[in-house]
Amino acid sequence: MSAIAAPTPAHVPGAGVAAPARFVRDTALLTARSLRAIPRVPERLLDVTIQPIVFILLFLYVFGSAIHVPGVSYKDYLFPGIIGQSLAFGIIGAGVATSHDMTEGVIDRFRSMPISRLSIISAQVMGQFCEQLLGLTIVVVFGLILGWNPHLSVGHAVELGALMALGMLAFTWMGVLLGMLVRSPDAMQGVGFIVIFPLAFLAGTFVPIAGMDAVPRAIAQWDPISALVGTVRGLSEGVHSSGSWQLVHPELAMALWCLLIVAVCVPLALRRFNRTLAG
Amino acid sequence: MSQITAIETEGLTKRFGAFTAVADLDLRVDTGTVVSLLGPNGAGKTTTVRMLATLLRPDAGCARVAGYDVVREAVQVRALIALTGQFAALDKHLTARENLVLMARLRGRGRREAARVADRLIERFSIGEFRNRLVKNLSGGERRRVDLAAGLIDTPHVLVLDEPTTGLDPRSRQVVWSTIRSLVDDGVTLLLTTQYLEEADALADRVVLIDRGREVAAGTPAQLKTQVGAQRVDVIAADGTEFTRVSELLRGRFETSESAEQRTVSVAAPDEAENLAEVAAVVAQAGIQVDEVALRRPTLDDAFLALTGHVAHEAPHTDSRFDESEPTEVAA
Repeated sequence: MSAIAAPTPAHVPGAGVAAPARFVRDTALLTARSLRAIPRVPERLLDVTIQPIVFILLFLYVFGSAIHVPGVSYKDYLFPGIIGQSLAFGIIGAGVATSHDMTEGVIDRFRSMPISRLSIISAQVMGQFCEQLLGLTIVVVFGLILGWNPHLSVGHAVELGALMALGMLAFTWMGVLLGMLVRSPDAMQGVGFIVIFPLAFLAGTFVPIAGMDAVPRAIAQWDPISALVGTVRGLSEGVHSSGSWQLVHPELAMALWCLLIVAVCVPLALRRFNRTLAG
Repeated sequence: MSQITAIETEGLTKRFGAFTAVADLDLRVDTGTVVSLLGPNGAGKTTTVRMLATLLRPDAGCARVAGYDVVREAVQVRALIALTGQFAALDKHLTARENLVLMARLRGRGRREAARVADRLIERFSIGEFRNRLVKNLSGGERRRVDLAAGLIDTPHVLVLDEPTTGLDPRSRQVVWSTIRSLVDDGVTLLLTTQYLEEADALADRVVLIDRGREVAAGTPAQLKTQVGAQRVDVIAADGTEFTRVSELLRGRFETSESAEQRTVSVAAPDEAENLAEVAAVVAQAGIQVDEVALRRPTLDDAFLALTGHVAHEAPHTDSRFDESEPTEVAA
């Protein structure tokens, strides 16, 4: 047997590269990996497109005729709601995908490789973020085709874009965290149906909060999704609501909700990813 | 010459709730050798290698890879160890080649260098034919080859193969074996887990037999086989009555063990084919109805029976949470 020198980690290629540069590089490589799956498994996009489209058709052409919102056409009232709902449902989408991905052997391979674990989880978030963004784009284009007519100034468009990006990032992190906490994609669907589905309806998503009964109204006034929907509606249609602080200041409320979600979910997700693991 | 121990564990222990998966395991793999961890499902093999690969944290004891502690120096350990699991750790939506390029890039290679490394591995592991097929469309044997290749981007200090041939058909198993042999010839240090005595025998310098997380025997394959005994002749009786007859008949003349449930009497056959002829003649003379009389190699069950005095599958792993075939449960 030939002499085998005591190995040192310095022998690892790329070990000399600074940690932040490696983190960015590894995250980009792993994100690209996730994105390459989209055209190969296009059915994964169905979750983020079909569901909102069904809601659009249902509310626009079935329930819509019975709903009257003062000062705005129901079509223009509905689309901001659908966009907000899509964002919120992104939690379910990201959660289902993550709970599925985490059962794949390849994640174990990444974890046992000399790459930062933060980059693995960041890439998961980035991949899901892009998927949600693609889904949302399809929903918006579908809305425009059906005759949604947003009244957006350039300033408002930029503000809306920034807030939407922040919202998607926060909800994606939340979904990734939930996806790692639950044991299976089915369980994640269950959590989505029990928690997120009601929150999306107990908000100003489809009908004005003011007309709700006392109990749902109280919930809707403080439901984060109301702030989300209020933001989209306020910026794109100039329609404002009232009844609680967050409904009067939806943009600020939404930003605060998102920062709160990020502050809570990011450390928990990282901790969860490393739990029972060395290093 | 600075020989350092490739893998060394002391009192390594892992519990899942009340269940102890690995109990006080002392394991040593010298650099340049091939050690096989042999045991039935649920013996703690996968849990052990997952601790070595820094995927699970030990509850007690310690483990070092090339002198680095798997908990305190996990980053160094990850640079030195490559783990190939019983479930191919590949991205199934990428092609074989894309997987190899990705792994090479994650190990610090530039785009062009990664492609070169991937193509070299494709040639070495005869992956060429299916290099552009998506991993999800590959057969089990093809996946294992790609998986092995992915573990060898940087020649690892220690390669850990977790049940590399479980679930493969005999032909694919031969291909994987010859791949592993060529690695061994190159001097790779290898820790191999397996359920097959035959596999440990074919590949390992040293075999550690484990059961319920504990080491029950260790030695060279030759030493173990001497203890286990040679091949056996199995006589499977046509029905219960015939089983009783054949059992009484053979017990008087040979060294036997038997299983009433399987209506099988097993006879030690140190002289192999000669013993087969003897047993067949005795059975035929007595006019006993049998389904089968056959010579077979000792199995893991025989080894356990011989070395521990009990059969291997006693361990009551009723809770699927502890089933090693679901490593994701403990990883999540």
